[in-house]
Order: sequence, then C-alpha cells, then structure tokens
Amino acid sequence: MSDLDHDTGIAMPILEVRGVSKSFGGLQALFDISFEVLPATIHAVIGPNGAGKTTLFNAVTGVYVPDAGEIVYDGEAIQGRKPHAIAAKGIMRTFQNVELFGSMSVLENVLVGRHSRMRCGFWGAIGRLPWVRREEREARDRAMELLQFVGLEQVAGQPSTDLPFGWQRFLEIARAMGAEPRLMLLDEPASGLNPVETQRLGDLLLKIRDRGITLLLVEHDMSLTMGISDRILVLHQGRRLAEGTPREVQSNEAVIAAYLGKER
Amino acid sequence: MKFLLFAGAILVGGVLVKNPYHLQLLTFIGIYTLLALGLNMLMGYAGQISLGHAAFFGLGAYTTAVLTVHYGWSPWMSLPVALLLTACVSFLVALPMLKLHGFYLGMGTLGFGMIGYILFRGWARVTGGDSGLVGIPPLSVGSMELTSKTAYYFLVWFCVTVGFIVCERIVGSRMGRALRAIHDSEQAAGAMGVDTSRIKVNVFVLSAVFSALAGFLYAHMVTFISPSSFDFLVSVRMVTMVVIGGMASIWGSLLGASLLTLLPEWLHVFVDYEMMVYGLVLMVVMIFLPQGLTRGLMDAYERSRSRYRNRHANP
Amino acid sequence: MQELLQYFFSGITSGAVYAVIALGFTMLFNSTGLINFAQGEFVMLGALSLITLWRDFKLPLPLAFCLAVVGVAMVGILLERLAIRSVRKPHPIVLVIITVGASILLRGVAMLHWGKDAYSVRSFSRHPPIEIAGATLLPQSLWILAIVLLIVAGLQFFYRRTLTGKAMQACSINRKAASLLGIGSESMVLLAFGVSAAMGAVGGVLIAPITMSGYDMGTLLGLKGFCAAMLGGLGSSWGAVVGGLLLGILESLGVGFFSSSLKDAIAFLLLLLILYVRPSGLLGVKAVHRF
Repeated sequence: MSDLDHDTGIAMPILEVRGVSKSFGGLQALFDISFEVLPATIHAVIGPNGAGKTTLFNAVTGVYVPDAGEIVYDGEAIQGRKPHAIAAKGIMRTFQNVELFGSMSVLENVLVGRHSRMRCGFWGAIGRLPWVRREEREARDRAMELLQFVGLEQVAGQPSTDLPFGWQRFLEIARAMGAEPRLMLLDEPASGLNPVETQRLGDLLLKIRDRGITLLLVEHDMSLTMGISDRILVLHQGRRLAEGTPREVQSNEAVIAAYLGKER
Repeated sequence: MKFLLFAGAILVGGVLVKNPYHLQLLTFIGIYTLLALGLNMLMGYAGQISLGHAAFFGLGAYTTAVLTVHYGWSPWMSLPVALLLTACVSFLVALPMLKLHGFYLGMGTLGFGMIGYILFRGWARVTGGDSGLVGIPPLSVGSMELTSKTAYYFLVWFCVTVGFIVCERIVGSRMGRALRAIHDSEQAAGAMGVDTSRIKVNVFVLSAVFSALAGFLYAHMVTFISPSSFDFLVSVRMVTMVVIGGMASIWGSLLGASLLTLLPEWLHVFVDYEMMVYGLVLMVVMIFLPQGLTRGLMDAYERSRSRYRNRHANP
Repeated sequence: MQELLQYFFSGITSGAVYAVIALGFTMLFNSTGLINFAQGEFVMLGALSLITLWRDFKLPLPLAFCLAVVGVAMVGILLERLAIRSVRKPHPIVLVIITVGASILLRGVAMLHWGKDAYSVRSFSRHPPIEIAGATLLPQSLWILAIVLLIVAGLQFFYRRTLTGKAMQACSINRKAASLLGIGSESMVLLAFGVSAAMGAVGGVLIAPITMSGYDMGTLLGLKGFCAAMLGGLGSSWGAVVGGLLLGILESLGVGFFSSSLKDAIAFLLLLLILYVRPSGLLGVKAVHRF
C-alpha cells in the first residue's frame, strides 16, 4: 500500500497527535496528548465523562485551535486550519448529538457530505453546463450507493428528521463517507442505539475499515469498543492514561482504577 | 416546463391587460418579486437575516438616478455600474457582517440600513436630500423609448423570469444544498467541507445585486425617487414578503410580493393599518408556521396526504 | 471650553436616557439570552403615554410617570405571554422576525392612536436653567441623571440582595439547573420582559420633555440603546450606563464639530464598529459569544 514506508515496510501513521494541549479559561481540557493512528485501523478513545474526548475531536477537526502541540495528518500539520479545509483534506466526522440537515432529504444529506468532492460553484450552477450535470449525476449515484451500504436506500427521498433515531446515526455515517474520507471521526456512534442496532453498527464499522478508511471513535459502549477496536487510547481528566490493544488496556491497572474508582 | 408556463402567463397578461393602472400594478409586483427573490436566497435558504436590504434597493436606484440625471449617462450604461457598485459595497459590508449570528446580525444589518437611509437623506448635494431626485429618464431601446406601460411590463417580467431561473438553478445545485446546510447547522456544514463564511458572503452579494436590479427598474419606472422609498419600513416589507411567501420557497416570493402589492390597492383604508398588518403577519406566521405561509401549508398538506396513504397501505 | 462643556451637558443628558434603554436590553439579555427588537417601541410608548396622561389628562406627574411605566410593562408582559412563549422553534432568526413584527405592530397601533404628529411636553420642574461656567444645564438633565442613578442602584440591589434577583441570575446561567432547584424559569422570563419594558418606558418618560415624541421615534432610540449596551459589553449593568453616557457624549460632540444631519449615523457607525471589532464591548471582560 501507498501508506507503507518505502524503506522499512512499516505503515506510516495517517494521523499523529503530538503534545496537544487545550484549556478553556482555567480548565485544562487536554494536557500534552500524543498518539498515532495507523491507516485502515479502528482506533478508539475512551475515558470517563469530562476526560477530553470531544475536545480532542474538535481539535483534530479544526473546531478548536490547540494551545500547544501539533496535529499531523498524512504528513502535513493541520492544527489551526478551518474545519472546512480540514474536511476537504479527507477528515470527516459525525456528531455526538446527530447534526443532520433537518430541512433536507436523506439523499440530500449525503450529497452535502460530498460537497468537497464536487466543483460546481454559483456560476457553474447558473450556467448548468454539461460537466455540471455529469458531476451532479455521478454524485447522486455515489450517494445512493452509500445509502445502500448503510441500508437506507429505501428512504432516500424522505425528510431526514422523519427517520428513527438509530437510522439517523447511520445516515450521519453515510453522509461523512460521501466525501470519500481517509479518516473518519465518530463521536459516540452507538449512544441511543438499541442492542440490535449496536450490533449492526459494529459490523458496519468493520466493513468501513475494510474499505481502507481509518476510524477514530469515541465510545462509551465497552463491548462494542473492545470488540472492534485495533487500538484504544484512554484519557482521564485531559491526560493520557494508557494506550494499547483492547486486551492490554483491559488489564491496565491505572485504567481499572480510573474506571472503577479507587476512592469510591 | 415550469418556466414556459410562467412565460406564457406573462405573455397572456401583457397582451390581455390594457388598463394602464393595472399594468403598472403588475409591473410593481414584478419589481417586488425581484426584491423578495433575492432576499429569500439569503434569508430563506441560507438562514441569514437582513433588516437593511432596502439600502441596496436604494443604492441601485440612486446610482442610476445620479448618473443619468446629473451626468446625463444612458441608463444602459448606468445599469452595470449600479450592479457592480452594489456588488462591491455589499461584499465589503458582508465580510465582517456575516461573522455575526442571529440577533447581532439582525442589529448589524438594521444599523447598516439606517446608515444607507441617512446618507440618502443627508448627502443632499448628490441625492437631493429629502426632496429626492426628479427627472430620471425612462428606458429606451435604440431610438424607441420604453414609455408604454406594456413594454416596461415585459422588461420587468423578463428580468423576473431570468431571476427565477438563476435562483432555481442555484437552489438545485451543490451551492443550494450548501446554503440550506448552513441554515440547518453551520457547524455540521463546516465539518462537511462547506466553506460557510465564503458562501454566506457570496449569497449576500447575490441578494444585494437582485435588490439593486429592482432599484434600477424602479427608478426608471417612476422617474422620481426620494429617501422614503428606501427606509426601514421597506426593509421590513421585504422581510414580510419572504415570510409570507415562505422561507426557502422561490415561487413563494411571487406570492408574497403580489399580496403585499395588491393588499393596499384593494383595501384603501389599508394605508393606516399597513404597519399593524405587517407586524401581525410577521408574528403570527413566525409563531405558527416558521417555514412561511406557502411552505407551511404545503408541509401540512404533504403530512396529511402521507397519513392518508399510510392508513390505506396498512389497514 | 464653554462650548465643550455645553456639549458635555447635552451629551450626558441624552446619554443617560440611552443608558436606561440599554439597561432594558441588558436585563432581558441576561435572563433570557434574547434581544428584543421592539425595545425602542417601549420607549416610544412610555413617552407618548406620559404626554397623554400628564399634559392632556392633567394627572399629577408622579402618578402619570408610574401609570405610563406600569402600562408599558404590561405591554411587555403581554408580548412575552402571547408571542414569545408560543414560539415552537426558538431559532434566533424566528425570534428576530417576531420581535421586529411586534415593533412594527406597536408602531402601527401608536400611529392610529396618536396620529402622525410629534408632541412635546414641558420639563418635570419649572426651575430656571442653571448656568455653570457659561454653559447652561437644564433642570431636566438633573432629573434624568438622578432617576437613572436611582434605577441603577435599584437594579444592583435587586440582583445582589433579593431572592428573585438571584433566582433570575441563576436562570440565565443555567435554566435547567435552576428549574431543578424549583425556580420557575417561565415566570422569570415573564418578569424579565416586564422589567425591561418598564425600563424602556422610563427612558421614554425621561426623554419626552427634551425632544419631540412621535410614533416613529422608537426604532432610532432602540438601536441607540442597543449600541450603548454593546459599547459597555452586553450583559453588564454598569457597562450599559457607561456605554450610554459615552454614546451620548460622542454624539453631541459629533453634532457640535461635524454636522447635525450625521448625528444619527454616528451611533450606527459606532455600533457596526463595535460588532466587528470588539463584540464583548469596551468593558466586557468575558467573551460574549455572538450567536
């Protein structure tokens, strides 16, 4: 694969977080966080509430600018870039509280996800030249494929807000895949899902990884996280507590202490 | 197809209506439709409010008026200048303004509209101050003056048709989706790769240019302009047209503009109640049908129809 | 020097009025996070009601003052009950349009009732103007300043010392948490609307003797009050006062040294400048999120 280093044959990380810190007022949300994510893996970030997981996501996707440290994606420092520029580079995300475009249909939501892969601007739209129509047609085909992939092709024309909550989560994943990302950040994708849906989600995430897309996910559902993740990063109060394979993390004493609580 | 029907209706209207007063009324509806259409792109689709668009309407009108009256330009020369000037001004205004959200954007645009009005009144040497500018030449094509009401009617509605086509194409494209995405969730739109600030500025300029075009047509139609045609109430009237017609509904702009032009004509006492009616309409529609009248009614219809269908599908 | 002093006097007079209007904005914003575009209309209603009650009905001034303020407060409460509370989607753009609608509606009603004329009324007391270093200070200015100071002190007392005031602050910080503690946020919002409308009315009552009052005075005064609130940092009571005074003085200097036709433009240019450059205001310490 192209991600392999030519000399050593070892996979180059697709995302490197180096010493990132972020504080809000007096609250230190992230403190000197470093880790690497290898391509085509599922990398989970876990930790109790307030551990800084969502802040970390927001730093990677450009919502926040880290106070210190570097975020390197595909060999290029991206910290401080605007969210849309980062998205255009192939990093897409989902949101903890599902942020769909409520006034649009299911299909249109996925089409917005494809925004950065299309070129048509205001003038292109007004002129409606052949290439614009071709681009639009291709985008629709591609979006339908993605809906099929997550199992929502039947409801493509429905308003997105009419979907049951669980389906909205799957739609958000399809929307994020619209941009053909190389790295996807999923913020608690299983929250609000029932066990059957969670099972389906796990299968879907594995299928996405097998397409060569790297997944970085924040998740509270431990059986899901332990079952599908290749590596797990544990945060606690903004600090890195441990990192390793699910097995290593499960047997790590610091993690057990933080989760079960020594004092309480 | 839709546009062929629309053009047909315009043609029939222009041929059948002979009463000059009615023709003038229809022409006014056309001008207001342009205003509502432009503002709807900004407000209805992108979800960015503007309470100062009358200033762009005025900028278009005053630019052409000053150039033709003071400097003797041909109106066709002043048209591109008016549009370009408005585009530049709106671009400069939009750059910082559209960083604001919600209430602040409302106040900012309101303040901008007020500044425009104060300049139209206060810069008397150029704009004629309160008494306005008289003697704006009518438009002419070659040596033929478009003085006949029918000719002007066709000109205005030609512009409206072009406006409709432009807006419909934008709405159905990648850009239209981006606008609605910004409306629904600016944060998610950004995360999907939509350059929200740039697109907001672009659509602001687009809507300002529409207003300027309407201002140009208005100035050469009535041949006399004064600041009171571009005050805060006019901005509110534009917002009301969009709200009645329906946020994010292109054809609703036509409905909103027609209603607000015809209502004062039908009800002569309306003049006194004009403001009360606008105020009530704005409040009631926003409280009960925040999508606007047309859109809200259409949604209600769709919902009842799908409920009906469901009931028949699973007895 | 004498001229400067004169500008200063007239500046703090109108500035104090802007300060009261700004306090109305601040107060409502603090407890609801909402900016009421009809705030200026409360000022207009206050001024015109005072004129009717005092000049035409010949009620004693204190009574007319109180009636006008209470009446306008009722209008504010009605606005909240009938319109704001029924909103299904409290999206800012919806609330902006609704309050703009309310402002136009109130304007229309006022035009029907009071007509298109502008009215004036004599000042509160019949003392002769006071001369200080060649500049004249109108007794009405003293009245205005005294009442504004009283209001600010009252507000401070209300927020710091009374249970209701503290509850109101709690609501603005976290509505859900406050309601869990048994503070009814609905009644707090209602109260905030009433008090902020009353504040606007006080501004109107104060300004009535020093200007011509008509049905269309509201928009301008509302915007200036908002400008003052922004200058001082939206949400801070002292900021509103300082912002109001600053705006008044700048305006009167502008009139003195440039031209009176640009007087109103000064406030708006200032407003735009503040919105662009320093949305937290001159005094605001905390970062205000421009949602």
